[in-house]
This record gives sequence, C-alpha cells and structure tokens, in this order.
Amino acid sequence: MATDRIAERRRIFKQYKDDVESRGKPFYPFAMFHDTVMSLVVVVVITGLAIVWKYSTPGDHIGTDPGWLGKLYDDPADPGTFNFVPRPDWYFYFLFYLLRIFKWPDTVLLGTIGLPTVLLVLLIAVPFIDVRPERRLLRRPVAIVASILVVVSMGVLTYKGATAKESLGSELVAKVPDWAKTQGFSGNQQALGGAKLFAESGCLNCHTYLGLGGGFAGAPDLSAEGAKNKGIDFQIRHLENPAGVNPGSPMPSFQGLGTANLKKLATFLESSKGGK
Amino acid sequence: MATRRLTRKEQMQQAILYPVDWLEERSGLVGAVKYFLFRKVPGDTNWFQTLGSATLTAFIVQALTGTILAMYYKPDPNSAYDSIQHITNDIWAGWLVRGMHRWGASVFIILMFMHMGRVFLFGAYKYPRELNWIIGVLLLASGLGEGFTGYLLPWDQTAYWATVVGININGTAPFLGPFLAQFLQGGTYINADTLSRFYAIHMLMIPGAIAALIGLHLYLVIRLGVTSPPWSKEAAGTGPLDGETPNGKVGRAGLSRFRRGR
Repeated sequence: MATDRIAERRRIFKQYKDDVESRGKPFYPFAMFHDTVMSLVVVVVITGLAIVWKYSTPGDHIGTDPGWLGKLYDDPADPGTFNFVPRPDWYFYFLFYLLRIFKWPDTVLLGTIGLPTVLLVLLIAVPFIDVRPERRLLRRPVAIVASILVVVSMGVLTYKGATAKESLGSELVAKVPDWAKTQGFSGNQQALGGAKLFAESGCLNCHTYLGLGGGFAGAPDLSAEGAKNKGIDFQIRHLENPAGVNPGSPMPSFQGLGTANLKKLATFLESSKGGK
Repeated sequence: MATRRLTRKEQMQQAILYPVDWLEERSGLVGAVKYFLFRKVPGDTNWFQTLGSATLTAFIVQALTGTILAMYYKPDPNSAYDSIQHITNDIWAGWLVRGMHRWGASVFIILMFMHMGRVFLFGAYKYPRELNWIIGVLLLASGLGEGFTGYLLPWDQTAYWATVVGININGTAPFLGPFLAQFLQGGTYINADTLSRFYAIHMLMIPGAIAALIGLHLYLVIRLGVTSPPWSKEAAGTGPLDGETPNGKVGRAGLSRFRRGR
C-alpha cells in the first residue's frame, strides 16, 4: 500500500541520517579536498581551452581564420546577406539535427516543440515515475535502458548535427544551368536570375531542390513549387513575410533582398514545375 | 577588579576573535559556516560526487569573466561587433577572458549533464530529494537559455542567423510561441532592440534566476545530505555495520572481535 511505502521510505531516510551521524566524516577536510581538486581542474581546463582557441588561430592569432577550436569571430552580422548557414553552438546540435528529421508541415512541430517539451516534462517527472527506494543500478533495469537510450541518441544526433554538410552558394550557382534545363526555363532571364539568387541566398540551407539542400526545420521541397500555381504575387508576399502568409512558419523574412530580386526569385519558383 | 590580567597570548586571541564574535552575535553566519564545513557526510562519498561543485565552479568562472566582459562589451548593433574585436585584440588579456567565457559555457553545460547523469545513476533523485532534482532540471534549462542568448552577442554572421532561426523555431510553438518570439525580439522582427534585450536576459535575468536556484539547490543538499554510492557495502541508510551498535559506537561484539585479533 501507498502508506506502507511512505512509512518505508521515511524509515530508510531516518536510518540514512543516523548512519551518517554515526559513521560519516566531516565535509571539511575530506570531501572538501576532492571538491577543491576538481574545481581547480575545471578552471585549468577552461583556461587551456581559451589559450588553444587563440593560439591555434593561424597567422597573427586574430581575425576570422579558424583554428583548432573554430574562428575567434565571424564576419559582422548582415541582415541583408542570406548566404549563411545558421548553426547553433554544439550543445544544441542534437536539437538542430532533430529538425532535419521532421518534415513540414505535418510533423515539424514534433521536432521543434513537441519532443523537447515532452523530454523536459519527462525529466522533471523522473522522481515521480520511479518511486521505489531501490538505488542499486542492477536492480533498476528500466533506468539502465532509459539512460543508455538517452546517451546513445543524444550522441548520435550531436554527431550527425556536427557532420551535417551544407553546400556553399558558389557550388550551388554552378548548378543553375542544369536546373534551367531540367525545369525548362533556360530562355527566361528573370527565372535564371532568380535561380542564381536562390543558390546564393541560403535557401537550400533549409529547403531541398532537385535532390540538393538541407531539409532543415521541415522546410518543403521546392522542385515543383510552380506546379501549385500560387502565382508570382503570392510568392513575393510569402518571401517578404513567411509567417504572415503561412502562420507558424519558422522561415525568416527575405525582404532585405529588395523588390526586384524578390520578383526574380518568385519567377524562378513559379517556373519550377518539377521537370520531367 | 578581581579578575586576573590576561596574558599577551590571550589578548591576541581576543583581538582576533572579536570581529568573528561580533559577526556571529549579530548574524549567526559564523555558526552557519561552521555547520556547513563540519557537517557529516557519508564516509564513502567519492570523486563522482564532486561534479556538482565542479559545475558551481564553472558557473563562478562564467559570472566573473562575464562581469569583466560587460565592462567592455557594447550591446548595440552598430558597435557590438567592434567591441568584441576590441576585447579580443586590444584589451590586455581580453582574449583570455573572452575565451574563458566562450569555452567555460561549454564546460558548464557538459558538467551539468554529467552531474545530472551521476545523480540519475546513483538514484539520488529519490525520496526525499525529488524537489532538488526538479531544481536541477530548471538549472539545466536556464543554462541552455544562457547558451542561446549569449550566442547572439558577438553580433557576427554565425550569431545573427542562428538566432533568427532559433527565435523563429520558438515562434512555432502552439499558443505561447508567438508571444515568446515577440518577447525575445522586442518586436515582430529582429531589430536594434533585440540585441540589448538578449544582453539583459543573458546577464541579468537568467543569471539572477540561476544564482537563486543554486542557493536553493545547495540549501537542500546541506539539509538532506548527499547519498552514498549505491554499490557501497557501508552505504548510509543500510543500518549499523557488523560490530556496531545502533548508536554507532563500537559495541561489545566489535570489541570482542577486535580482541580475538580479527
């Protein structure tokens, strides 16, 4: 019965307090010695990382060239350039990669909000799910399996997130003639211009197009976007304010490209009928 | 008076102890520190149980380096990037302080996860320590929040675009999402106020919450005590060992065993 369990765990805790009182040792100096050594190790490791970060940077140890631990800083933020791969710090890679697994619009909410929220609630609930007083690991098979699953999946997701490759704009621009041939817009200067912007502006960091691109945050495939015949005006409105047209969309605004460029992009999208 | 004159040594002792006694009489703090230092912990605590204080050390490093960075950093889109360059390249040891803050964040987060793993494997979240586990989860979430808000501050391309996507993802949450996104941005779009807002959240709001939560966390650790490793043969909570009477003194059985030379 529940009351028995409550009485039992109170008894165990009372026993714990008695045992500590009778055969424990004072925190100072025994445990405090361990804590002090460990704290010193932490400070040394942090200082070491800072030194490696700086002194492994090539040249005069300044600027944007990456050393062993990455760049000291990147180019200044420019809301007008879109040729940039959004990448969080490494400890968010597992979430970052989760967003590649779920597809817009049906399941992306699972990846962005659903799963992380469920995990957080589960984590808070751990002491209320596992209410037995048993602490020995070998007698807690569920806890063992759960912890192995969590460590392995976080590890795999972090690794996949770290090694996920995004193509650079310059490599993608070379594909524009192929796209034009497949989609049949070779004669359309507006669409060709739009294709070049599409390649350079980081659209493929999230979207996919004719087998290329990121598939991030559930961004849809755009190979046959034009087949939906939404119209150039719609495309421009969407590019200016994605969330306004498509509530809940995580896509950033591309208003910064300017009206003329947005028109080209929209023409390109409307000319993309999926090819043969 | 009839009292004898104090010796020189006693006078010295009194002079040294006077401020301590003064403080104790008015605050009880000296007693509290003594209790903290000389409280009993299980005799079999081990190195795994230093991960919590190691995490605290990493937080203190973040607080100190963060304070120094705040003296030179300018949370304004026009000068943030330049101030980061200034800190990294011009200020004496600025690169070291910034590097320690940058990498201390990673160490802090790794240590939080390791500490949490230790508590989980030791079953140390069980009665009566449930509340402290929850405070720990809140600390982990706050720590990740520090990571998210701090990432924007260098105001470079990496920072800017990762944050744009991060805010947009927050914005997709049902019901609260749009409000959360608007709160983070200080408007419907990322704008000039977003940076100073992230700065305020990063260096005032979340660190304040973390400091308060750490205080509660430590209070509960001291009040409830740390657990013995579950595999320990002499784990606290298993009752008296062989040869001990329940009140902990070596009893007759123990003594007789001792006499027999075992």
